[in-house]
Amino acid sequence: MSKDEQRIRTAEHWARKIRLDIIDMCCRVGPERKAHPGGALSAADIVAALYFDKMRIDPDTPQWPDRDRFILSKGHTCPVLYAALANRGYFSKDLYGTLRRVDGNLQGHPDMRKTPGVDMTTGSLGHGLAAGAGIAMSAKIDRKDFRVFVLLGDGELQEGLVWESAMASPRLGLTNLTVIIDINRLQSGGSVEQILPLHPLREKWASFGWNTIEINGHHMEEILAALDLAVLEQERPTAILARTVKGKGVKFMEDDNSWHQRTLTEEEYCLAVKMLESGGSA
Amino acid sequence: MKNPRVELKTVYGEVLVELGADNPDIFVVEADLMKASGSKPFLENYPDRHINVGVAEQNLVGIAAGIAAAGGIPFACTMANFMAKRACDQVAMSVAYNMFNVKLVGCYAGLTQEKNGGTHISFMDIGVMRSMPGMTVLVPGDSEEFRQAVRAASVFQGPVYIRMPKLLQGSLPGKTYEFEIGPCYQYGNGNDLTVIATGLATDIALDSLQVLEEAGIAARVLHVPTIKPLDTESVIRCARETRACITIEDHATVGGLGGLIAETLTAACPVPLARIGMQDAFGLTADLEFQLEHFGITASHVAAEAIRLLDGRGQNE
Repeated sequence: MSKDEQRIRTAEHWARKIRLDIIDMCCRVGPERKAHPGGALSAADIVAALYFDKMRIDPDTPQWPDRDRFILSKGHTCPVLYAALANRGYFSKDLYGTLRRVDGNLQGHPDMRKTPGVDMTTGSLGHGLAAGAGIAMSAKIDRKDFRVFVLLGDGELQEGLVWESAMASPRLGLTNLTVIIDINRLQSGGSVEQILPLHPLREKWASFGWNTIEINGHHMEEILAALDLAVLEQERPTAILARTVKGKGVKFMEDDNSWHQRTLTEEEYCLAVKMLESGGSA
Repeated sequence: MKNPRVELKTVYGEVLVELGADNPDIFVVEADLMKASGSKPFLENYPDRHINVGVAEQNLVGIAAGIAAAGGIPFACTMANFMAKRACDQVAMSVAYNMFNVKLVGCYAGLTQEKNGGTHISFMDIGVMRSMPGMTVLVPGDSEEFRQAVRAASVFQGPVYIRMPKLLQGSLPGKTYEFEIGPCYQYGNGNDLTVIATGLATDIALDSLQVLEEAGIAARVLHVPTIKPLDTESVIRCARETRACITIEDHATVGGLGGLIAETLTAACPVPLARIGMQDAFGLTADLEFQLEHFGITASHVAAEAIRLLDGRGQNE
């Protein structure tokens, strides 16, 4: 196996683990406390690529000042982040049962004060890019070489603050900032296209001065190649537009927006595990 | 002769340059209002640490939060009206929730917006900011105190909001203290009435002492430059030692000092209370003196309310 193939297989392996843990959390959370599995599953490959390939991090030193940062701006899909952090060794999977519990480390939205490895509290949509830009600006001024990755949802792009930050980041010269947009085409109330269409999305970001890359957000080779390009870019911040499928990996959840926020029953959980372990949604 | 009012932007520019010289972690973040904030000297001295995000208050506070997340101490400034309202969610979620070391400065605060008018006059900023868990809220009463408040905020760990009017008295008369975060400061010892004041209204409250004395009412002024955490001990002590309280501020009494003192005294030491300030109203397009008169933020109104509360009788009568 070539080195590149090895990178791809490794990241894919962890993406599968992350998906299994997402459905575990989203079942265990119980019917009283619904988590958001659909948008977590659509982001699983991207988050796996970041935490198991691209990011310079040290799980033993979550506050390492020179670490790369990841901000899950679409904070409601936090099971994907918690699964990545636990699999990467930031905390024990025993904490999965604390998701959305009053005294739990795993809050309903990422809370940097409660969860080791969370680089920014998010939940109120649209905040992540501004905070990421601030961190990236700090790195630039202090001549540090760490990078900042911000994952946004496509529905989230309807928030005005996203565009304030999108406008400012190229002007501030934030070449160390990468945005990844998880374009799963569904938001809480239905189809993004029907509620408030975004296209031409690539042209929007490009016209704001971003280096733009369009990929299939479930094709690991494309994800890794895009992240590699983002790091090489010397002139502009990079926006990776990742086409994804909400619920990806579990056939009965794919493109079904009832899984935006919903708890898996035991039966659904068992079926989902089978689907994931058999290597996909087929 | 009173000390003339001073433009605080000059003071802000000076003190930022001093702080920047001492501490490389100090950043200044602006939403293109350097003409109002006065941070240009910092830009000239430390261009790398001065960031203008454009006319975008949410992004201003979001970026400041990011700078604090990476260990910096950002001073983010925009007009108080926009800091408290446009960037409210960013202040709450990106700054206060994380207890980030961000210093928020609301310039041209209160009625000193003058002829920028009702769209620009901030009458909610104290209320909004003091409702944020963990936020320290400073409302200085003179330009020296403003300078000291900015310095104090720079070494204080945690989020701070500083209310920065366009103008304040250079120095309040008869001052005997150096500002620090926390205490209220008392002027006079009269036992009939406590006039509780903050910001530029403290100067007016001090003027009222003379008018009250002429009306036979022995009063004291309690100046509250730290709105949060409130020095409740001093407020309650003064309420106990006098027969009534009057609050005065250039802010809505709802949510402002008036609301704060009502909340505090109702729970701990109910006394007759009048609250002077803006009452369910937007500001006007008018100069400061006209607006103070219009909203009754005057020494004579304090006296009239005092007479009403005390049934016209001071103990000295």
